[in-house]
Amino acid sequence: MLTRRHVLQSVTAASAIIAAPRILRAQTASTFRIGALNPVTNGSGYGAGMQKMIVAAAQSVNGAGGAAGRQFEVFAEDGQANPQAAVLAAKKLIEINKVQAILGTWASGVSLAVAPLTNDANIFLMSTSGAPALSVPPANAKGLLYRFQGTNDRWGRAYFKAAEKEGFKRPATMALNNAAAISVTEGFRAAWEASGQKVVEKVVYEPNQASYRSELQKILAAKPDVIVMGSYLADLTILLREWYQTGESMRFITPTYAANPELVKALGPELVEGIISVDTVANENSPAFKLFDEVYRKEMGQPGSTNSFAAMTWDMVTVLALAIEAANSVEIPAINSRIREVANPPGQNVYSFAEGKAALKSGKINYDGASSVLDFDERGDVKPDFAIYLFEKGKLNRKYVVGI
Amino acid sequence: MFYLQLALNGFIQGLVIGLGALAITLVFGIARFANAGTGDLLTAGAYGALATHKATGSLVLAGIGGIAVAAVASLLAYILVFKRLMGRSVMALLLASIGVGFAIRAFHGLLYGHSQYVFQIPLSRPYVFFGLRISALDLALMLTTALAVAMLFAILHFTAIGRQMRAVADNRELARVSGITVGRVMTALWLLVGAVSAVAGIILGMKTVVTPEMGWDMLLPLFAAAIFGGIGSPAGAVLAGILLGIAQELSTPFVGFTYKIALAFAVMLFVLLIRPQGLFGTIERVR
Repeated sequence: MLTRRHVLQSVTAASAIIAAPRILRAQTASTFRIGALNPVTNGSGYGAGMQKMIVAAAQSVNGAGGAAGRQFEVFAEDGQANPQAAVLAAKKLIEINKVQAILGTWASGVSLAVAPLTNDANIFLMSTSGAPALSVPPANAKGLLYRFQGTNDRWGRAYFKAAEKEGFKRPATMALNNAAAISVTEGFRAAWEASGQKVVEKVVYEPNQASYRSELQKILAAKPDVIVMGSYLADLTILLREWYQTGESMRFITPTYAANPELVKALGPELVEGIISVDTVANENSPAFKLFDEVYRKEMGQPGSTNSFAAMTWDMVTVLALAIEAANSVEIPAINSRIREVANPPGQNVYSFAEGKAALKSGKINYDGASSVLDFDERGDVKPDFAIYLFEKGKLNRKYVVGI
Repeated sequence: MFYLQLALNGFIQGLVIGLGALAITLVFGIARFANAGTGDLLTAGAYGALATHKATGSLVLAGIGGIAVAAVASLLAYILVFKRLMGRSVMALLLASIGVGFAIRAFHGLLYGHSQYVFQIPLSRPYVFFGLRISALDLALMLTTALAVAMLFAILHFTAIGRQMRAVADNRELARVSGITVGRVMTALWLLVGAVSAVAGIILGMKTVVTPEMGWDMLLPLFAAAIFGGIGSPAGAVLAGILLGIAQELSTPFVGFTYKIALAFAVMLFVLLIRPQGLFGTIERVR
């Protein structure tokens, strides 16, 4: 343990030295400082796009003259989808960079670990995590935590709707051992059992194992007709490959952040055929999404629809900027009291910061986001719709949309 | 039969741990420090094999390519870092090895990105022997490992350089005055360490997915097995790795899958309480 502490100390010291010139700049110019804490490494490949969209959205805010006269300044850190690394980075962002908001924490474990720090500092935390605990105290004790993602409980209910519609009778669940993955399968179990049926078997497994054959053995012994997965890309890849080699046939319901084109690339179209993949629906027909998509293509060389989390971080910056503009202040309580006002109805629908800034001069606005229509409930959660996809010949085809 | 299947599953997992622990224990026995960069040498082997496999389509060539890449990486780490720090405190070397690990990981991140890669190997249904299921790939990997371990022990025990290595491990000064060139022995050691790490990394990569962090994530069980086996004992490291793997899987019907790792460590704790020197260690070595 001594060694790890040594390493972390020297890393922190090194980051402090690197960050030093920026602190000086931050103190002289009056900027609104935000921290981009995203899983650039380890995050199923979504983190880089999330971070670039925070920077790009901040640039577009600055290009429109800033919010309440302030320019946005972004400090980027890698949360590594790892609570320890993320807490260190968050401490640095708060204590050294003096950020007033941390945006884009991805893994639930990371958001739950960072929330006490942002609460103590009385600053915003905006996450794309699903864990139900993020809605309530202690994580959201001060009402400064906003979630741009559907809760895992809602994900679980979306799985239930898919399982019901496909006519499955004997579901089993498998989840990676972390707060987010387990709450997804538990959400499914709660909904399934509420309909008076039983889940035939459940397994919670550890990450980074060379083989998941024993885990599969236990699940397969219960003879399920579908396995509901709380998984990520790496463990799902290993599990499916071993499952295929057992020769048993059954279906899977998985989140799209695990079962996506990367999975097809890894396993080939034959193996993934028929897997049901569930995702939140980005607000694809809105002008906000078109704007986001354009910027995402320019920055990442891929369509914006490949990274729903990046659409969420794009919206985070935009909503924050609009709330600052509406409050005409950079005091946290003043901004916080305006977030629902600019994001929820009633008001004129707007789709970008520049448009919203202009419309605020003449009355109330309702920002319709790139990630969802983005209406926050009293707990700071949004209610996106879910889409059910099916893998057919290596392509992810959208079958239907369910509202929860 | 159910338990036998579990034990078999654990055996394959244990091979990876055992080989990695072997790489750690070799460095510990001969260069005398705990090399925390071992995990990333595993990763280097996996990426090297992946690149060769993509280029040639041959698994055998992939194995050779992976071994070559990791051996070179290992030797470079020695020449650029560890050689300059020889004679410094164990702590300095340990910290330097963590740094070497960071550097290798960052290099992989830059070169290949952080998305996962997999070996494109055709999947096949398992063979069934008396109700035991074993896949062709696992069988091949087991044979490869057995071959690798046999070769390593042959080098250590039946060749001049192996004898010199063991002499340096016993008493470096005495070895030096007996006319053994320590530099040559060290070069051979680091090449071997790279090669052994590569085999472990390639097996892990073929069984799972290849990412820059894959080896680093394995470091804890590797060290556990090296200690369990008796630090500095190659045979102990391999055996301890396999035992840890089997104990993990056999425990799952009783403690579930989330506590199997903890249970493996409990077994280790128990053994070390009875035999503090580990399975094959001697109580106190005169260094």
